[in-house]
Amino acid sequence: MPENEKIPAPLIVEALKEAFRGQRAAPPAAGEPLGWVLSVPDTHQRSVIRELEEDTELRLLTCSTEDEANAIAAGLYVGGAEVALMIQHAGLYASVNTLRGVGLDGGVPLFALVGLLSREPELEPRDSPRSMVRFAEPLLDTFEVPHALLETREDLGLIPEYYALSRERSGPAVVLVGRETA
Amino acid sequence: MRPEDVLRAINEARGEALVVPTMTAVPAWRTIAPDAPSVACVDFMGGASSLGLGLALAQPDRRVVVLDGDGSLLMQLGSLATVAGAAPANYTHVLFANGVYQTSGSQAIPGGAGVDFAGMAEAAGYAFTTRIDTLEELRIRLPELLRAEGPVLVELAVEEAELTPMTAPGGDPLRVQVAQLRERLASGG
Repeated sequence: MPENEKIPAPLIVEALKEAFRGQRAAPPAAGEPLGWVLSVPDTHQRSVIRELEEDTELRLLTCSTEDEANAIAAGLYVGGAEVALMIQHAGLYASVNTLRGVGLDGGVPLFALVGLLSREPELEPRDSPRSMVRFAEPLLDTFEVPHALLETREDLGLIPEYYALSRERSGPAVVLVGRETA
Repeated sequence: MRPEDVLRAINEARGEALVVPTMTAVPAWRTIAPDAPSVACVDFMGGASSLGLGLALAQPDRRVVVLDGDGSLLMQLGSLATVAGAAPANYTHVLFANGVYQTSGSQAIPGGAGVDFAGMAEAAGYAFTTRIDTLEELRIRLPELLRAEGPVLVELAVEEAELTPMTAPGGDPLRVQVAQLRERLASGG
């Protein structure tokens, strides 16, 4: 895939800010971040993580596991903060119990960008020979989690749309990052 | 120490703190502190330290007290490093160390009573850690432990609890607790 087809990281960070601003009742107070991004580093989205490390409006917190990230997100949400997760498909599989307990039973609007590392651009994720890629959408369907696929700049609106959807339904919503970010 | 006595002492000293109980602390805390601003972690064992961390980061002006268990913490032991890395000054992590998974039948935890949780928290980078073996000492030191710059971890040598979430189910579902505490905090309560 040519480099210029990849979505530049600053555009994804801006889309996250748009998502957070869309849900806030008021601008952040002095010293308060616009929102939090909880990351268990994802190879596919590493350029976004680098961008977030330098960002002054968003706060990036690296977590040891995706289970932790789900529970931290719940605490941030209860405390009134805006929060998104950035994880990898392997982490989605690793954390299904907290996705269930926190997001479904707890009614916490978990929003996650989930990287589909090793996804073949010419194939639909469900048709991938790689189980990590192939089972991501069926797993989300099983848990009744709405999801969409982010592949091009034209798809960036999915980030605020699915962030808002997670709030509206008081539950998880996922944007699968189908291509490595630039 | 009897965990119920520990919870009564914490309730008397907690002030405006937000509280995150888990597993065997949940039924007793429900009775001892029914009006405390709390959200319990039961259905995702191991998540209390992280749930409390999120609360502490979102509410930096409120003390957050996590009532954790040794078996629970072992399920998300990496959270010690995550908490230490985030360095919330308003975070007190109370660890009820009874050496067993009491809720599932009191099977010994890996390492049994020999695991040094306070030592692990210190090595992870907590600002202050300690171990307390008697209720008398706990009562004396609690005000300091709830005021000190965190993250603080206090490991308590406790007996098994009278009740567990299995023998005493009930309380509001997590969904209700989440909504109620979020609303309470939004209105300044």
